[in-house]
Amino acid sequence: MTTNIFGRNVLGFALAAVMLSMAAPAAEAQQRGSDPEHTLDMTWDRWLDHDEIGERMKLMECTWPQFLDLQSIGTSYGGREMWLMTINNPATGPEAGKAAMMIEANVHGNEIQGAEVTLYTIWYLMENYGRIDGITRLVDERVFYILPTVNPDGRDYFLDEHGSGARTGHVPVDSDGDGAFDEDGPNDINGNGLIEQIRKFTPGEGTHRVSALDPRIMERVPPGEVGDWVLLGSEGVDDDGDGRVNEDPVGGYDPNRNYASDWQPNYIQGGSMNYPFELPEARAINDFQMAHPNIAGFQSFHNSGGMLLRGPGAAWQGRYPQSDIRVYDEIGEFGERMLPYYNYLVIWQGLYTVHGGSIDWTNDGLGIVSFSNELWNGGQYFNSPLLQRQQEDPRDPTNGQRSRYFFDDFLEFGDEYVEWAPFDHPQFGEVELGGWKKLSGRVNPRFMSMELFHRNMAFTLYHAESMPLMSMGETTVERVDGDVYRVRVDITNERLIPTITARALENNVVRPDLITVDGDVEIIAVGWVADKNRPGPTQLIDQAELDRIMVRSGHPGRTTKTIEYLVRGRGDMTVTYSSLKGGTVSATVQVR
Amino acid sequence: MYGVAATAAMLLFAGGVQAQSSRYLDFDDLSDELRTLVNGSPNASMRSIGRSLEGREIWVVEVANTAGNPLTERPGVLVVGNLAGDHLVGSQLALETIRFLLNDPTAESVLSDQVVYVIPRLNPDGAEAMFAAVKYDRKGNAFSYDDDNDGRFDEDPGEDLNGDGMITLMRVPDPSGDFMVDPDDPRLMKRADKAEGETGTHTLYIEGVDSDGDGSLNEDGAGGVDLNRNFQHEYPYYQADAGLHMVSEPESRGLMDFVVANRHIGAVLTFGHSDNLVTAPDSRGQLADPSVSDLSAFAGEANSDIYQNGVFSGGNRGGGFGGFGGGFGRGGQIGARGAPLRGAQPGRDNDPQSGRRPAVTVNTQDLEYFSAVSEAYKEITGITEIGVNRKAEGAFFQVAYYQMGIPAFTTQGWGLPVAESDDETSGDEQAEAEEPAADESEAQEFRAGRGGRAGRGGARGGAQGSGDDGGFDTKLIGAMDAAGIEAFVEWSSYDHPEFGTVEIGGFMPYVTTNPPAEQLPELGRKHGEFVVRLAGMLPRVNIVSTEVTAHGGGVFTVTAEIENSGYFPTSLQHGVVSRSVQPTTVRIEVEPEAILTGDAKSSTVQRLDGSGSRAKFSWVIQGNTGQSVEIWVRSQKGGTDTATVTLR
Repeated sequence: MTTNIFGRNVLGFALAAVMLSMAAPAAEAQQRGSDPEHTLDMTWDRWLDHDEIGERMKLMECTWPQFLDLQSIGTSYGGREMWLMTINNPATGPEAGKAAMMIEANVHGNEIQGAEVTLYTIWYLMENYGRIDGITRLVDERVFYILPTVNPDGRDYFLDEHGSGARTGHVPVDSDGDGAFDEDGPNDINGNGLIEQIRKFTPGEGTHRVSALDPRIMERVPPGEVGDWVLLGSEGVDDDGDGRVNEDPVGGYDPNRNYASDWQPNYIQGGSMNYPFELPEARAINDFQMAHPNIAGFQSFHNSGGMLLRGPGAAWQGRYPQSDIRVYDEIGEFGERMLPYYNYLVIWQGLYTVHGGSIDWTNDGLGIVSFSNELWNGGQYFNSPLLQRQQEDPRDPTNGQRSRYFFDDFLEFGDEYVEWAPFDHPQFGEVELGGWKKLSGRVNPRFMSMELFHRNMAFTLYHAESMPLMSMGETTVERVDGDVYRVRVDITNERLIPTITARALENNVVRPDLITVDGDVEIIAVGWVADKNRPGPTQLIDQAELDRIMVRSGHPGRTTKTIEYLVRGRGDMTVTYSSLKGGTVSATVQVR
Repeated sequence: MYGVAATAAMLLFAGGVQAQSSRYLDFDDLSDELRTLVNGSPNASMRSIGRSLEGREIWVVEVANTAGNPLTERPGVLVVGNLAGDHLVGSQLALETIRFLLNDPTAESVLSDQVVYVIPRLNPDGAEAMFAAVKYDRKGNAFSYDDDNDGRFDEDPGEDLNGDGMITLMRVPDPSGDFMVDPDDPRLMKRADKAEGETGTHTLYIEGVDSDGDGSLNEDGAGGVDLNRNFQHEYPYYQADAGLHMVSEPESRGLMDFVVANRHIGAVLTFGHSDNLVTAPDSRGQLADPSVSDLSAFAGEANSDIYQNGVFSGGNRGGGFGGFGGGFGRGGQIGARGAPLRGAQPGRDNDPQSGRRPAVTVNTQDLEYFSAVSEAYKEITGITEIGVNRKAEGAFFQVAYYQMGIPAFTTQGWGLPVAESDDETSGDEQAEAEEPAADESEAQEFRAGRGGRAGRGGARGGAQGSGDDGGFDTKLIGAMDAAGIEAFVEWSSYDHPEFGTVEIGGFMPYVTTNPPAEQLPELGRKHGEFVVRLAGMLPRVNIVSTEVTAHGGGVFTVTAEIENSGYFPTSLQHGVVSRSVQPTTVRIEVEPEAILTGDAKSSTVQRLDGSGSRAKFSWVIQGNTGQSVEIWVRSQKGGTDTATVTLR
């Protein structure tokens, strides 16, 4: 049984639910040809507004109710729900006992395609659970929290309204300091549904000229020369009659500068607002993350440039501890192999300085290994060595700035460009409107979406795979004398990321791991075994409560440690290792 | 008699003026008192800016005569008290400030032209602890914080072992201890100076037992976030009393949202454990060095290593067994390479050596205002010497100045008795202070007998109070003794379940940071007077002259001159630097096309100095003879004004 979704209005949520209820044994999909039928056919070739995202999430929740749980973690300033999907297999344990990977996107209103990556991730994991062993195991071992859009107001403003370049959310800010809020933004003055650019013909007095290679290219004239055109910004008029155009659009801040690590005031970090977590969206996310200390991995999708970014956001924060850097480097360098055209970079070194960014807070304040991918690199338009060699030829139509027009002309059939057309502007007089549409540049062409979605998902799944996973290994019981026994238990973190990062230890922001003992035996002493294969001393654990050992430094990645108890008595003895980010595991031995 | 135990005496009646409160008030009594004040005056109203974690309202009282300009277009003063839970004196002085403003004739122009917002008690949950059966210096709100990060919350508070109603300190004989009894005053302790051949004999702890059996004493009590360490300037990251992050608490968020929504606030006064009024920022814009009680600092050291307990070195050294091997497969190569330094260019904002830093000292152009306000404060209150002075980290008044560009002040609200002036005690700061009239100041009645030695540290050196030359406690206890304030629980022996025979004693809770209750009415009156003086310094912008010149043909030149008749400039220099204070805007209400030349329709002046400084604006416009044209000026902190001219 197949359910199709062609577009937002074709199939309402209620109808879908009815169809699904009729198709109860949907999981028993028939193998036809080389590929299994999908339980839920979804198309991935259009950009979804906030309502459509919600519809898809509800539909997926109805389709896979045993794994998916949809909730709103808060409402945006504009009253839109912040939908978050939990993926958890309750048969393998409750959420809190498993490491969670949180994936969010679209904190900047115009950086949209991460939302579709996250929806694709939910869909892919569900479609392939029970079919691909690696996916089945991942879903069984881990929890996923998926928040497709952090900034639903900004997303809808970008997709459905006038926010063609707007990063901001919609909390009103008096950007021009005139006492009025958001009173003069862009306007679609020619009524074609687009916010274009304005240029004015000013012969001999301009800053730009039309390129000889392609009349659509506006070149800035070199110093000492004059051009015939000036660029006057985005399409709009002087709404408030103050003599300026578009000087106070909606919002006017950077929603990814409102987090609580290295937050700085506006004059140091533009757009940071008045205090950390002032923005309702940032606060809702932080509240959720603080209430879910099992989150061990975090990805925040942005665009663009093709980057796998990690903190710190500012040089003055100094370097991460070396052991944390090793973990990041391994994941980031793996990512470079999985994502051609993407580079693994530190934010301040490779991008620019960011104070109060989201992943700085999750790393420093919450102890979560965090990445931010800048989706889409313009180099991917010409993604072969052959094409790149052709581009190097100055006479080639794909050379330099012309490449973008070439691509639009021949691969998108001119879909992303609006020819300049005259317009009589109330403030500027005779001008022309035109230029690139909002989807070009930062957002990949739709036909290239699948690869972008899948590769970036694969990177987050690798990140999820790297989260700590505790297990108990070999146990031994050896009689020392009388009723005194030596009990040894191997404790392993099977994966790359430690249960507690070095930065989390420095800041005391993650509860220590706990090793507890239940049973009738009396504990005389506890220690770490230096080397199981050689006789020799153990590292005595000097703590007051030997049946509740605190391990502040956590368990390193891909490491087995052996703990040794010297006990008096006989009977069952259960040793439990409890880690907020690595799970809880136990081993029971018979002491006799 | 000190503090809350004092009877509810209502003192100092003065013709029609409501009684001042000479006792410390719990939340219900404070709320009643505020209601009584507000209900008794047409010039006050109160509302809540939010609720504490335990559900208590955070009151703001708005003091203004509402006839006249809308309040949001008037210059405003904000007074906030009791951000730290144990600083009840702040809330009491805030209360008395309201009473003074409503009753004293000198406050009339403040009420009619300005507005004063008073938030007496930002931390009502913390303050309530002063009225509990067992008292300790509780600074935090009701947030449950895992101070020692052991997975248990508030599980090991101090206990009143000797049953005296107070949690003080224990000194425990310990041959490996760092401290010894101060030979000059056996009540005090000093760090043994090993270079001088001294040997430590004691360790200090907070009074109590190891409730959770983890080997540490009293490391995780109730009382979470000290709200005056929860704000976003020089925030003490990841400190147990500062919250999980900046502005994390409902109380601190409520205050931030209030000031963000009321940008016409042009001066801030808070009461707290820090100071910039008795000692103004120095010539480099820095506050006086802090001074803290040595005894409590020493006791704090007992738990200085709790975060080390449970830190183990890496994986199995010499490992190689197990399925996953030890450490990371690629060893040191990865770390050596790290993330490549792509894109970094020297001198850019991604260069570690550069990048703009937030200001942490008062802008030198603003210093004169801080000095003048400080002088006024000392003149009015007579306070010249303060007690405990805490480093201002995450304090609200600092946010008001450094991030909102507002002249912002803080004070403990009372003074220590002044020591004899014939020795070094009076340090350079005091030397500059005016001698207050002795009979005016209750503080002057006290003469400290032992100030001399501590005075070498003085208010500035106290931070190193644990040093070997007599600490800050010497000064503190000397002042208390001289003032006849019972401030110290004499050490007495106690049979402790874990340590055997110990001594319990130390400074009483609240006493070194809150004055005796009978001083409250007089201190309150003086702070009311100070708030009136401060309000009088706010900028006040008016259009002082207009002129119309006709050129014929319907062309006119319109000129308007504005003046700031207040003392403060329309924006402090740091308000300009931080772009947090809007420029003063002058606008001529004609169509933009009617302006032929001259100033823009809306023109601005970034900063107009006070004391009568003026700025002139001219527009050449096209209009009709006899037409009225309105000119409008708005200063964010200096009010609004309009003038109408007739074209002729």
